[in-house]
Amino acid sequence: MATTAESIAMPGASAKKPKDLHEHLMLDPRPRGEMNAMVMESMHTTSKKFWGVVVFLALTILFALLGAWGYMIAEGMGVTGLTRPEYWGIFIVDMVFWIGISHAGTFISALLRVMKYEIRRPFTRAAELMTTFGLIQAAICIFLHLGRVWLAYWLVPYPNGRAIWPNFHSPLMWDFMAITTYVIASTMYLFMPLIPDLAMARDRSTGWRLGLYRLISLGFTGKAAEWKFLKTAMNIFAFAIIPVMFSVHTVVSWDFAMSTRPGWNSTIFGPYFVIGALHSGIAAVMIVLFMIRSTMKNMKYFIRPEHFEFLGKLSLIISMAWAYFFFNDYLVPWYGGNKFEQLLLDFHSHGPFAWVWVSMLICNILIPWMILWNKKWRKTPWLMLVVGIVINIGMWIERFVIIPVSLTITRMPFTWRLYHPSIEIPLTIGTFALFMLLYLLASRLIPLVPVWEVQEGQSAHIVRKVGKAMVTSVSNVD
Amino acid sequence: MADTLTLLALFADIDPTVDAIDKLHSMGITDEKMDVISGIPFNEEVLGRPDIPTFIPRLAMGGAMIGFIVALFLIFGIPGLYPLNVGGQPVFPIPPFIIIAFELTMLGLMGTAFVGLFLAGHLPTYEPKLYVPELSDGKIALVFPCSVEQQAEFVDAMQSLGAEQVRPVEAKTL
Amino acid sequence: MSGAKSKNTPSKWGMVIDQDLCTGCQACVAACVMENNISSIGEQDVSVGRSMQWIHTERFWTGQYPDVSTIFQPILCQQCGNAPCETTCPVYASVHSDSEQINLQIYNRCVGTRYCANNCPYQVRVFNWRDWPRPVPWNNQLNPDVTVRRRGVMEKCMFCIQRIRRAELTAQSEGRQVRDGEVEPACVQACPAYAIVFGRLDDPASQVSQLVKNGRAYRMLEELDTQPKVYYLTGDSNHGHNG
Repeated sequence: MATTAESIAMPGASAKKPKDLHEHLMLDPRPRGEMNAMVMESMHTTSKKFWGVVVFLALTILFALLGAWGYMIAEGMGVTGLTRPEYWGIFIVDMVFWIGISHAGTFISALLRVMKYEIRRPFTRAAELMTTFGLIQAAICIFLHLGRVWLAYWLVPYPNGRAIWPNFHSPLMWDFMAITTYVIASTMYLFMPLIPDLAMARDRSTGWRLGLYRLISLGFTGKAAEWKFLKTAMNIFAFAIIPVMFSVHTVVSWDFAMSTRPGWNSTIFGPYFVIGALHSGIAAVMIVLFMIRSTMKNMKYFIRPEHFEFLGKLSLIISMAWAYFFFNDYLVPWYGGNKFEQLLLDFHSHGPFAWVWVSMLICNILIPWMILWNKKWRKTPWLMLVVGIVINIGMWIERFVIIPVSLTITRMPFTWRLYHPSIEIPLTIGTFALFMLLYLLASRLIPLVPVWEVQEGQSAHIVRKVGKAMVTSVSNVD
Repeated sequence: MADTLTLLALFADIDPTVDAIDKLHSMGITDEKMDVISGIPFNEEVLGRPDIPTFIPRLAMGGAMIGFIVALFLIFGIPGLYPLNVGGQPVFPIPPFIIIAFELTMLGLMGTAFVGLFLAGHLPTYEPKLYVPELSDGKIALVFPCSVEQQAEFVDAMQSLGAEQVRPVEAKTL
Repeated sequence: MSGAKSKNTPSKWGMVIDQDLCTGCQACVAACVMENNISSIGEQDVSVGRSMQWIHTERFWTGQYPDVSTIFQPILCQQCGNAPCETTCPVYASVHSDSEQINLQIYNRCVGTRYCANNCPYQVRVFNWRDWPRPVPWNNQLNPDVTVRRRGVMEKCMFCIQRIRRAELTAQSEGRQVRDGEVEPACVQACPAYAIVFGRLDDPASQVSQLVKNGRAYRMLEELDTQPKVYYLTGDSNHGHNG
């Protein structure tokens, strides 16, 4: 592992300037102790601004989420903008959005781990945290949506005094089972690779942090057997959680696709939603990585333009796939001639929400394609932040178009009515604030970079000369 | 029998560690007696040590089966107890069963793999351990028992192979 | 059977509404509200489309001015044999009654997911968006046979099942069958034009069975194969009349 650093910067005598391979984290190794210290410092560093943001977010949650929710529970769902025929509104939009956000974590850490994409190493944890925290928001949105939230436990299948079990014919029960599985599995999957890093933090902490890390690192020392068990369990998870991830968003889409509604009853909804989830999820990883890189100490070493470049490439492919599925979902009803589906398509593109529909296409297709084709631009973090925000706006709008806008058109024309959200807006802001607050606090409590995985990766990379070029080669020890 | 103590030899790199393991083998320390502690994972092949058996995959398969059986109960047992007609659908529906069976099988698989990690690794343990904090700085340690008389011999052997430190350790609270 | 839905569902209670006879007077709506303890929700909520009517009358204009005519259609829960609302409820609040062949809504099981209302092609389910006040003396008007619903609960027409049960129990105690015309849901009872007829579809001699054989009978959105128990008799004989 010591061989890499010197050999990279070999000044070439050739006409073409050799590439500086130091830009790659895996080829720019630092001693583990130094990386540990950098990560520990990033966890310990807080500023007045940081606490200011924490207090601001906490107050936002208090008023926009807890306060508004309490008022809604006390008053009833009448305080929302929901009505006939929009029985589902922004709460479900938010739920689908947050589950979409949660997909990126698993996609990046599990799929890229299985595929041995080395570039994943520094940001798997950041993405997995998004999964767990995103799912918390999704669960809150489900609870927000229920008319009698205090009875939400009736959906849990357990022997009970009511002598009735939930209805497994209902797509909502499939959804409940799938989301429960995903929440539990992704939280365990977040925790397992965290154990060695918590042990690292334990060795470098004092006071309350020592107590905390001692407790949650479970007494892990790094014995060969402990590593073996950890790797075995992680391997099982990495393979098993990928189909679960696909199933979760498919089942979410089935909430809509199983119904008789025009525009919802579509066989393509499953993959369309999965791709949409990855689209917003990958974009959200870009946002989170930009925030980590620009606000936390020492993170410019770990999170580099190459990572934005990679995510940008991924995002471009997924944006194209999304466009393909969107077109498919549009073409079939357009061609089919079902009266209500045609009315719905017309309502989408020419109705009062047409501007929303058009901005969905601009945000999800036009802007990403215009920017992401260029490698130099993909390597520009602030530009990727912009793209990430634009795609997330676009994907939120996509769900808005699918849910309340499409619900406007029913088979009973005299019930048609536009949706005007009211208390949904502060509650949505509240879930965003809670996500950000959880992330901010977690960023100071757990190592956001899996240092051991970075070191493992760096030790597996060497640079090799092929002709006059220096190329990377990766050993396959793990 | 003479007093024994536990020696910990700290290496910066994997290659000298592996040489040291061979040396310890030749000096009569078997694989069962020594332990390798490291800040990043090295598999048995890299260390040249025998396979560490693990029951986690088998346990996980068992968990998956339990999950599947629970799904069978939920879809085919519950309607048997409380048959309710909804929307003219069959009381024992097959396609929804596939969905529930998939989710619960996966939950059982992953849940028991997670529990298996705890059982196999005897985690969590908060007892005193043989450990030095340098290990999470990426160092690799060999921990092995030796008698007091042989201590100097082992220390020399380890240092000649590139050990940064060789010192007796005692279990302490982490 | 290959798909999820039954091919032909059994019938029991049914309703026939003659659009030729309906004058759109809304007496059925008022009677239903009183019989079933439906909340009066005030103009604010009505103005955003939350009116809680289990039966509502829709008015359709046909023809060009001055040669226009109106057709009224009272719309209530169609009591589907293959009800899309039932399968979607995660807590079995919406279930099928095998003995009465009616879609039941069990209020105290409902947790308010509102999935059933989304999935109802007829949009006849109504939701308790709030706890609306019942000031004195309205509280004295409550029907003791019907549950009072609170906020967060879905509700809908069940063919006045409390009246069906009462008639069945009376008949049982007298050791006879329920007679045709003995059960009258509130809307049927209140209709001054006798436009709504209620009875047993499985009894070929009943009045509803006779009317269903009438060539004018149709069911709403029949192409969805929800197999409703409410039949309409097309209203076309008043063409050419104004109003």
